[in-house]
Amino acid sequence: MPPVIELENLRVKLGRREILKGISCRLGVAGQGRAIGLLGPNGAGKSTLIQTLLGFHQPMSGTAKIMGFDCHKQVREVRSRIGYMPESDSFIANMTAVRFLRQMGELSGLPKETALEKAHETLFHVGLGEARYRDLGTYSLGMKQMAKLAQAIVHGPPLVILDEPTNGLDPAARQRMLRLVKEMKEDHGMNVVLCSHLLRDVEEVCDEVVILKDGQVVHEADLEAERKSNRFFVELEVSGDDSGLLEALHKVGADGVGEGQGRWRIVLPPGVEIAVVWKVTAGEGLRVRKLTHRRDTLEEIFLRAVGHLARTPGETAPQEVAANGGL
Amino acid sequence: MAVYKRGYQRYQGPLTGHWTRLLSLPRFSWERLFQQRLVVLLLTASLLWPLLCGLFIYLSNHLEIFASLTNSRDSNNGLAKFMEINGNFFLIFMNAQSVFSVLLAALAGPGLIAPDLANNALPLYLSRPLTRKDYVMARLLVLVGLLSTVTWIPGLTLFGIQSGMAGWDWMMDHLRLAMALFLGFVLWILVVSLVALASSAYVKWKIVAGALVLGFFFITAGVATMVNAVFRVNWGTLLNPAKAMYVVWGEMLGVDSTVVGLSSQGYDGPGSVACGIALLCLVGVLGLVLERKLRPVEVIK
Repeated sequence: MPPVIELENLRVKLGRREILKGISCRLGVAGQGRAIGLLGPNGAGKSTLIQTLLGFHQPMSGTAKIMGFDCHKQVREVRSRIGYMPESDSFIANMTAVRFLRQMGELSGLPKETALEKAHETLFHVGLGEARYRDLGTYSLGMKQMAKLAQAIVHGPPLVILDEPTNGLDPAARQRMLRLVKEMKEDHGMNVVLCSHLLRDVEEVCDEVVILKDGQVVHEADLEAERKSNRFFVELEVSGDDSGLLEALHKVGADGVGEGQGRWRIVLPPGVEIAVVWKVTAGEGLRVRKLTHRRDTLEEIFLRAVGHLARTPGETAPQEVAANGGL
Repeated sequence: MAVYKRGYQRYQGPLTGHWTRLLSLPRFSWERLFQQRLVVLLLTASLLWPLLCGLFIYLSNHLEIFASLTNSRDSNNGLAKFMEINGNFFLIFMNAQSVFSVLLAALAGPGLIAPDLANNALPLYLSRPLTRKDYVMARLLVLVGLLSTVTWIPGLTLFGIQSGMAGWDWMMDHLRLAMALFLGFVLWILVVSLVALASSAYVKWKIVAGALVLGFFFITAGVATMVNAVFRVNWGTLLNPAKAMYVVWGEMLGVDSTVVGLSSQGYDGPGSVACGIALLCLVGVLGLVLERKLRPVEVIK
């Protein structure tokens, strides 16, 4: 099956500034509902990448393809397969939600009667059923977000691009939004690209993650595999002479990196229990002052990728990923 | 099953064609436009003049009605000449309808693009299988459709009525008038619509955009007069699209400019070709304005 998104040395220049500097990667699998998280610090090029995928910007060189269609040369084919929820407030003035969705559906190629039917159906689905005859201008911020999501999925596209979908939502609405996104991929087989600053949202919903920095891919990972591989991530603080600890760890199949002052980060391979760490430290005559055993969070993956944290042993250097053009 | 019970299902049926999608945009716009009372009132008012012209055509083909009122042969001839349906008649008709078309464009045009820009709706439209050209064309079609109902459609209807009353020979002899009515109005609609769309794209406030459409025609007329007076030239007329259009219409209808009052001493300004080129240049400039302003995302350089 072809990838949902395929970028090949994509370079995009806005004005005189090069925003995307030769991005190459293959994301998602067409026909399988997967969610791809797009992360990066401000100015990393996330929005430019999304806009390029939508055909709003012309690439300087390289190609961007969605389901095999070139985003610049076959813009109509690409757009007919996409649902887009923009970050900023976007709606059509003086229009009820039903009318708005019906128009958006018809513009996407739904027949007249079907568009009306789908408009009602989608509004109920996102929780705006009771407010569907209200003017969009009177909606609260949370309702507008839901209306934006509804217009993105009214025509049932195979790929939905969501730009900061949980912005401005209260916790309950945020949960509902994330649940809807999960349903989109799990129940309806849609591929979702989720661009968000809220790492918890991405972590909760996404199967893959791409981290951009300065217009380049600095990390690209299968999130589920990443979670599993970091299941035995240990932070250890000991007192005493720890010069032989690394060798002792290697003997039990573990790896670690000393951060000085008795602080260690240790990765245990699958099947090795936490008790091994106690045995090794006891064997080295070290006193354990602190031992935390927790899952590696996406926040840590993100911070490491953008260079704010030391890398965990065995992890691919971000530069190498970028140089290899992804996985 | 009730919609609220059915739940969301992805649509996987056949999609409509490009033109069906494109034409859905004007359809929604027209529906919204005709919900405005002012538009309906103005549209109705703008059809009064064609009705009067229709009555005039009827009377001009039934001069015997006036026979009892006039006795002399000379006055009968004078009346027949006055009531003759020719290029002059249609030029006056076009002139009157052009005013209504500007008013309608000023009323309907600003609501087409300005709200989309103000509410950041362009990314929603342009993330669908719709290009910027399609969007402009769809918006243009709204005005073209609306203005057609007060310009060339009643114009050709009047021509048809006259042909029906005067006979086949009259129609064949005056086919030029029909062509002039259609092409002249199409060019005018294009100019007026693009002015309205460009104003709407530049100003996000509907009222200001509407005022700008009206102001455009007044200001250009003033500038043209000023240029002619200050530099003692006559090419300033090219800067006045309304007058340039009038000159082009006069030529297309085969009307003598002194007769229709372009000037009491005769018209000595730029010819119809120059005026036509000036209008096409204006169309080009307005197209560029729209090309520049209508972008799904603003790139700050």
